Amino acid sequence: MTSYAIFLGCTIPARQPNYELSARKALAKLGIELIDLANMTCCAPPPIQSINLEASLAIAAYNICLAEEADLNLITLCTGCFESLSIANTMLKADKQLKAKINRILSQAGKEFLGSKEVKHYLQVVTDDVGLERLKQNVSKPLTNLKVAAFYGCHALRPSELLKFDDPERPQIFESLIETLGAKNVEYRNKLKCCGGLLRGYSDDLALNMAREKLVNTTKAGADCIATLCPFCFVALDIGQMQVKLKFNEIYDMPVLHYSELLALALGIDPEELALKTHKIKVDKVLNKII
Amino acid sequence: MDEVKVGVFLSDCGNQLSKILDFNALTAYVKNVSGVVLIERNSEFWRGDGLQTIVDAVKGRKINRVVVAESLPKLSEVNIVQTVEKTGLNPYLVEVIDLKDHCAWPHRETPQEATEKAKAMLLAAIERAKLLEPIEKLEFPVLKSALVIGGGIAGMQTAVDLTDLGFEVNLVEKAPFLGGLAARAGRFFPTDDCAICIQPPASDVKTITHTSRKCVYRSGFSEIPNLNILTNSKIVSVEGVPGNYKVTIEKKPRYVNELKCVRCDLCTTICPVEVPDEYNAKLKNRKAIYMNIPNVHPPVYVIDDSVCKFNDCAKCVDVCPTDAIELNQKSEQINLNVGSIIVATGFQEYDSSIIKEYHYDDYPNVITNLALARMIDGFGPTGGVIIRPSDRKTAKKIVMIQCVGSRDRRYNPYCSSICCMISLKHASLIKSAYPDTDITICYIDIRTTGREHEHYYERAREMGIKFVKGRPTEILRDPETGRLIVDVEDALLKKFLELDADLVVLAPAMVPAEGTKELAEILGLELDEDRFFKEYNSKLRPTETKLRGIYLCGGATFPKDAPTTSLHAHSAAVKAAKFLSTGKIVKDQRTAIVNEEYCGDCEFCPVTCPYGAISLVSTTEEHLVARISDLLCEGCGVCVGTCPLNAIELRHSRPNQMLAQMKALMSINGTSKPLVLAICCSECGHTAVDSAGMARMQYPANVRVMKVPCTGILQVHQVLEAFKVGAQGVMVVGCKSDGCHYEVGSQKAEKKVELAKMLLKEYGIEPERLEMFKMVFIEGNKFAEAAQMITERLEKLGPLQLMRGS
Amino acid sequence: MEYGKEEKTTNLAFSKVVTSRLGGETISLCYQCGTCASSCPVAKITERFNPREVIKLSLLGEKNEVISGDAIWLCCSCYNCQERCPQKVEIADVIYALRNIALEEGYIPNIYSEFASALLNDGRIVKVSKFVENKRSVLGLPPLQPTGVDALRKILSATGFDKLQQKEEESE
Repeated sequence: MTSYAIFLGCTIPARQPNYELSARKALAKLGIELIDLANMTCCAPPPIQSINLEASLAIAAYNICLAEEADLNLITLCTGCFESLSIANTMLKADKQLKAKINRILSQAGKEFLGSKEVKHYLQVVTDDVGLERLKQNVSKPLTNLKVAAFYGCHALRPSELLKFDDPERPQIFESLIETLGAKNVEYRNKLKCCGGLLRGYSDDLALNMAREKLVNTTKAGADCIATLCPFCFVALDIGQMQVKLKFNEIYDMPVLHYSELLALALGIDPEELALKTHKIKVDKVLNKII
Repeated sequence: MDEVKVGVFLSDCGNQLSKILDFNALTAYVKNVSGVVLIERNSEFWRGDGLQTIVDAVKGRKINRVVVAESLPKLSEVNIVQTVEKTGLNPYLVEVIDLKDHCAWPHRETPQEATEKAKAMLLAAIERAKLLEPIEKLEFPVLKSALVIGGGIAGMQTAVDLTDLGFEVNLVEKAPFLGGLAARAGRFFPTDDCAICIQPPASDVKTITHTSRKCVYRSGFSEIPNLNILTNSKIVSVEGVPGNYKVTIEKKPRYVNELKCVRCDLCTTICPVEVPDEYNAKLKNRKAIYMNIPNVHPPVYVIDDSVCKFNDCAKCVDVCPTDAIELNQKSEQINLNVGSIIVATGFQEYDSSIIKEYHYDDYPNVITNLALARMIDGFGPTGGVIIRPSDRKTAKKIVMIQCVGSRDRRYNPYCSSICCMISLKHASLIKSAYPDTDITICYIDIRTTGREHEHYYERAREMGIKFVKGRPTEILRDPETGRLIVDVEDALLKKFLELDADLVVLAPAMVPAEGTKELAEILGLELDEDRFFKEYNSKLRPTETKLRGIYLCGGATFPKDAPTTSLHAHSAAVKAAKFLSTGKIVKDQRTAIVNEEYCGDCEFCPVTCPYGAISLVSTTEEHLVARISDLLCEGCGVCVGTCPLNAIELRHSRPNQMLAQMKALMSINGTSKPLVLAICCSECGHTAVDSAGMARMQYPANVRVMKVPCTGILQVHQVLEAFKVGAQGVMVVGCKSDGCHYEVGSQKAEKKVELAKMLLKEYGIEPERLEMFKMVFIEGNKFAEAAQMITERLEKLGPLQLMRGS
Repeated sequence: MEYGKEEKTTNLAFSKVVTSRLGGETISLCYQCGTCASSCPVAKITERFNPREVIKLSLLGEKNEVISGDAIWLCCSCYNCQERCPQKVEIADVIYALRNIALEEGYIPNIYSEFASALLNDGRIVKVSKFVENKRSVLGLPPLQPTGVDALRKILSATGFDKLQQKEEESE
C-alpha cells in the first residue's frame, strides 16, 4: 500500500463532499492510503498570489514542510492546490537563492523547506502508482457507452515547465484514464481553454461567458457529461449552468462529474455513498446510462 | 655567447620631444647603464638617415641589441625590425618603445617628472634587450589541395574559385546529388531567377562573356579537371595538422555506374517501389531508383537502398540497356591528403512539428516554405500549381506565418534573417501567376534589410498581399469542412481575426544542417550558442576558424541569402588560397616551451590552450608531460598563466625578462606620487595607452607601463613580485572579456587578479592596490582615468606598510 | 492616452520596478507579437483586457493606468499566454506582480480583501461552518484537522501580507 499525505485545500472539505467522498473511497479501493495531517492551511492559490507572490510561495512551502516532517509525499485533489504547491516545490528546489529567501520567512514559523518530497495530483498517482493495467482489472462496472468530455482545467497542465503534468498542447493522461474506465472520450473545441472559474467574484459576467462556451462545445460534441479535476471548474460548470440558464435563458442540462466520481462508480462503489445529490445538475442521466 | 652590446637610438621627433624631455639628461643617464655601447639621437629612426644609422651600427658589429625610442611604435617597429633582420641580426633582439605617446605627451605638464619616467622606460627597455634571445623561423609544408564539405551553392562556388586558382579540390556532398537547399528553393531573391546558378569556372570565360552566370549543368562545373566530386559521401575522420590533413571519407554505393548510365529513364519507369519523395516535401512519390530533378549533377540515377528490393526484384537491371545498374556495389573508403578544409554544410528548416499548436505534424494543409517552393517550381511535384495537399485541389486562400520557431526563446532565439524575404518572394510569385489567390502574411516584424529587399515588400503590398501584425497563437481545423483557421490578433487594430485558409505556410527557423555537431567534433571546431559553426571573428574574419587551415562559408555559420552566401564563398576561397598558395607555412618560433623536468601529469594546460596546441605525451618515466605544437601555438601565454608548476615559458616573454623590466620601471620615481605598474596586454591594453597619449590626455607620471603578450600570461606570484620590487599599486589592463585577441586570456587574468587580491589580503596588503581594467584602443580616456583613479586611491591609502620593513 | 503629454503619470522607471519583483522579471523581453492576446480567452470576449496591452503600457511607464485600472484583475490565470509566449515572458506571473504592486498602493478589489481576511482569520479562504462539520460526519467523512493558522500569521507578517489590511483601513 502506498501512503500519501492528503492536501484537501479549502473548497473541497467545505463545499464538495461529493469530491472528497469519491476520491477517498476510490483511492482506498486502489490501495492508496491517505493520511490527514494537522496544521495544514490554504495552499495560496492565484487569488492569494495576486495579493503577495512571496507570501504565497512561503505558504505553499510551509505546507510542503509538514509533509516533509511526516516523511510523506503530498497528494492533492484540487488542481489549484496542485498548481500552487507544485510550483513552489519545483521553484524552490531549483533556485537556491529563492529557497534561502523563503526559508528566512519560514523560520518565523519554525519551519525549513528541504525539498525532499513530491507533490502529486491524484491523477498522476492513479496513472503512476496504480497503473492503467491494474486500474482496468479493478473496474467492475465499466462505463460502457458513456461519452465523456474531459476538462483538464488550466492548472493541471500550465505552466507546464514547472508542473510537468503532461504535454500542455496534447495531453493524454486524463483521456487514457477515462477510457480505462470503459467510457468513450469525446473531443471538443477549445478543450484546453479556461472555464473562467477564477473570474467568478470579480467579473461574473465574463466568467459565465467562458463557462458557457464549454457547455456549448461539449454539447455540440455530443458528450453525456463533462469530467473535471478541480473544484473551481466544477463550480464554474455545475452551478455555473444554473446561472447561464438565468442569464442567457439556455438550458444545457450537462452533468458535470469529477473524475473521482466516475472512477468510484466504475470501481463498483454504491452511488448512494457518494453524495451525488449535491450536484446542481442532476447526474441521473449518467447513472442511467451506466447501470 | 657573444658579449651583449646595446645600441640605444633616441628619436626626438624633430625636437618636439626635447621641449618636454631633457634629452641631455637622458643621454647622460643611458651612457652609464651597463651594456650600452652606443647612443644616437635623431629626429626619427624608422626610416631614412636614422634607420641607416641603426643598419650601419648593426652591420659594423658595433651592437647586437637594438633599443629604439620612437614615436608611432606600432608602425615604426615593423619597419625597423624588418630592416634589422635584413642586416642579419635576429629581429627578436630589437626592443622599440614610445617615449612620445607613453611619456612626453601625457606628462607634458610635468616635464621633469616625464624625464625621470623616460629614464625608467629606457632602463627597462635596455634591461629587457640584454636578456632577449634570438627566435628562429620555422617552416611547415602545405599541400596544395583542399577539401570542400557540402555541395550547395556555397561549396560549389568555393570549389570553382579554388580550382580556378589552380588548386586540387575535393568536393564532398552527403546527398546523392549536388545542389543543396538552393536546388530545392527554385528561385532566389532579389533577382527572382533560378536558385541553382553559379559563377562558372574561368575556363568558361574564354568562350562565353565574363559577366555570365550559368546553370550548374551547363557551367562546365562537373568537368573542371582539378575538381573531384564525391556525392553520397560523408566525412568519417580528419587527422593531421594545418597544411597536411588526412581525411577519410565513406562513399556510399550508388548502385548505378556513373560512366555507363545514359539517363534513358527505363529503370525508373519499371521500378515497382514507390515512396514519398522527401526532396519534394513528400508532395509526390518517387521510385526506389530515382533522380531529383533533370540536369542535376551527377546526371545518373541512384538507388535508395532503404527501400529497394534488390535481387528479389532486379527489374531495373533487366531493362537497363547499358548494364549500368550494379546491385552488388559496396561502400567505399576514400583517403585524401589535403592542405586545407572548407566547411560549407549549410542550414535547413527547423522541424515545425515541435510547435504543436501549429499542427504541422497532423494537418496536411499546414506546410513549410520549402514545400511551397517545391510547388512553385515548374519542375516540382505540382508543376507550379499551388495545392492543398489533403485533396490536391487548388489553394485559393493562403495564410503565411513568420518566425515559426525563430525569434522564439523556447526553440531558437535568433532571427533567421531570410524568412521574411522568402515569404515575400513566394507570395509575390504566387500572386503574379494566380492573381485571384488571397494571401495573408502574419508577421511580428517584417525585415527586409538587404539591397533591393524593401522593394519586395513594396511590390507585395501593391499586388494586394495582406499583412497582419501578429503572431498566431494556434491553427485550428474545422472538423466539418476541414478548413484551417488561423487564430491571430492584429496588434495594430487590436482585433482578433480567425483567418480562413486552404493552406497555411509556415516560415520555420533556419537551423544548422543535420550532422553539424558530428562534423564539428571530427574537425575540432567550436559551435556557437545557436549550434552553427563559430567563426574566428565575426567582424573581420568571418570565414576563418580558430584552426589555421580550416575555413567556413555559407549557411554553416548562420542562415544566409544567396548574395551573402556568394560573398562568403569567395571570401573563404581567398582565405584558403592565401594559406595554400606558397606551399608552406613560415612561422616564427614565438611560442611556448615546456620545461619537462618540472612538468607533470596535471593536464591543465591542454584544456586551457585556446588553440589546441598542447598535447600530453608519455615520457620514459611513464608520466605525462605537455608538448607544444610550434605550428598551432599563437604565443599568447595563457598556458604560462595556467601552469601551477611554472613549467611553461614563452620564448619571447621569459619571466626573467619581465622581472628585469618591472624592476627597472620601479627603480626611478621622480614624482611625489606612489609608483604604479600597469601591466598591459600587447593588444587592446597597450594600444589604449597609445591612444591616451596620441590624444594628449594627461595622467600622472608615476604610472609605468609594461607590455605582455596577453594578460592571460600573468601568474599570481608576478603580481606579488611587482609589489616586492617597489610598486605601490598594480593595474592589469586587458581586452574586453569577449574581445580578447587570444579568446580567453582576459577572462583568465580577471580570475588571477581576484585570486591575487585574496592573497594580498592574507599578507596584510590592501587588495584595492590591485585592479583589473578592460578597454579597447579608442578608450584612451578610460586608461587615463583609471591611472588617475588608482593614483588617488593609493595616495589615500598611504605607503605600502609591509614594504617598509622588508 | 498620449505618451508624454501627461508626464506626471508616466513613470519610466516602472518597468524596472516590475522587473525587480518576483514574477515580473521577464516583462522587458516582450516584443509585442500578440501571441498572448490571441491565446487569451478573456481578451477574446471583452475589450477590457488584453495582456499584450497591459505589458506595453507597463513598459512605457504608464503606471497609473495599469495599476488603478480594471484590466489586471481580469486575467483568469489560465497560463495559456505564458505557455505559448515565444519570448518566454511569464505573462501570468507578470500580472501577479502588477496586482501585488496595485494592492500595495491601495487598489484593492473587494473580493481580494475578503480572501485576505479569511486567510488571516481562519487559515483558509473558505470558511468551514459547524453545519458543514456535522454534515461531514453524517456523510462519513473524517473530522477536519485543525489549520496551522498561527504559523500562517507569522508567515504573513514576515512578508508584509498583513499590511494589506492596514492599507484597506486607510482607504476606507
